[in-house]
Amino acid sequence: MSEQLVPVSEIQSTDDNVPRWGMAIDLDRCTGCEACVVACHVENNIPVATEDEAAMGRSSHWIRIDRYYEGTFPDIKVKYRPVLCQQCDDAPCEPVCPVYATYQNAEGLNVQVYNRCVGTRYCANNCPYQVRVFNWFDPEWPEPLELQLNPDVSVRPGGVMEKCTFCVQRIQRGKLDAQAEDRKVGDGDIQPACVQGCPAEAMAFGDLTDPESKVSQWAGVGRSTQLLGELGTKPKVFYLEKSD
Amino acid sequence: MLAAPRPRLSSSRLLAVSLSVVAGGLLWGQQQPIEFPHDKHVAAGVDCIDCHSGADVRSAATIPSINKCMLCHERLANEGPGVKLLIEFWNRKREVPWQRVYRFERAANVKFRHAPHIRAKIECSACHGNVAAMTVAQKAVEHTMGTCVSCHRQTQASDDCAVCHF
Repeated sequence: MSEQLVPVSEIQSTDDNVPRWGMAIDLDRCTGCEACVVACHVENNIPVATEDEAAMGRSSHWIRIDRYYEGTFPDIKVKYRPVLCQQCDDAPCEPVCPVYATYQNAEGLNVQVYNRCVGTRYCANNCPYQVRVFNWFDPEWPEPLELQLNPDVSVRPGGVMEKCTFCVQRIQRGKLDAQAEDRKVGDGDIQPACVQGCPAEAMAFGDLTDPESKVSQWAGVGRSTQLLGELGTKPKVFYLEKSD
Repeated sequence: MLAAPRPRLSSSRLLAVSLSVVAGGLLWGQQQPIEFPHDKHVAAGVDCIDCHSGADVRSAATIPSINKCMLCHERLANEGPGVKLLIEFWNRKREVPWQRVYRFERAANVKFRHAPHIRAKIECSACHGNVAAMTVAQKAVEHTMGTCVSCHRQTQASDDCAVCHF
């Protein structure tokens, strides 16, 4: 597996008061239960593809579980790796967008602006992690499931690219709640749906520029790596490799 | 036998006419079930937030339920023609089907929150016009992205896309 090429201690913010959001995932704890996938679908109004659509490669997940099998049965080891948008600092998806619908914001989020997107799909073709999904059609939910849509997240129309946002709606809410109570956003105040839903607590989310935050602590340990970090994408998701 | 299609034809024409009237009302968005006089309520000292509660702490500045109207109108000012209509809804245990005046179209993918704007001391009238002088609320300000962004820049609020579009 890839080594960690950009240590977490080198991740800088443009301004002291601006956080740089990142995630750390402990593969020792991940059991591959896919609770994160379900939580993500529910939180972000992601439609569930039918069997036929999935067969055509049109299933849409903002987070998926990659499986790796080592050895042969019965001496087999299984490793699960949740793969979501790595929110790269040098994101290959950004420079190829002809309409500036995807860009890096000050907090290090790789933002996708749905109403600016014209659906060229260049970004998805250039993403080495294959985490961007295209809406081939307007999403539909069988009745009465449209009633459970999250009002804090828009429903993306057909012809638009979408991907993991680190639950930007929760980030905005966390910041506004802190502002209303006249305090700073504390570590752990903001949790994306996948982090909140993980029963094994295998995921940590927070500010990578704060050395005290849980995510920085996790990302700083010896078995911390970045997925395909050798490509120079500078991902902000750190994987804590399985200790044998 | 020949007479049979006639009533069917006229009823369908009636349906078409009534549908177009309803659709017209919805399109204009101003066809309220009761001619609600905002000016009278403001003149009586009622604040926007008294009825559109939640705007200061939550995302939505709600349209009030009939229970809220009747808190006052059960005892006060229950003689006028508008209030009589209101009481009719109340006696039938029905909500008043108020029509929303302002909304972002779905394709805009905008998630607006009132609370931070009120905390930043933006007057309601900045985005909704002088409702205090209106009877039935009219769409006085066009909510385009230009309206939002120019104000955000003037007040040095964030103009990052991800603040509103997600």
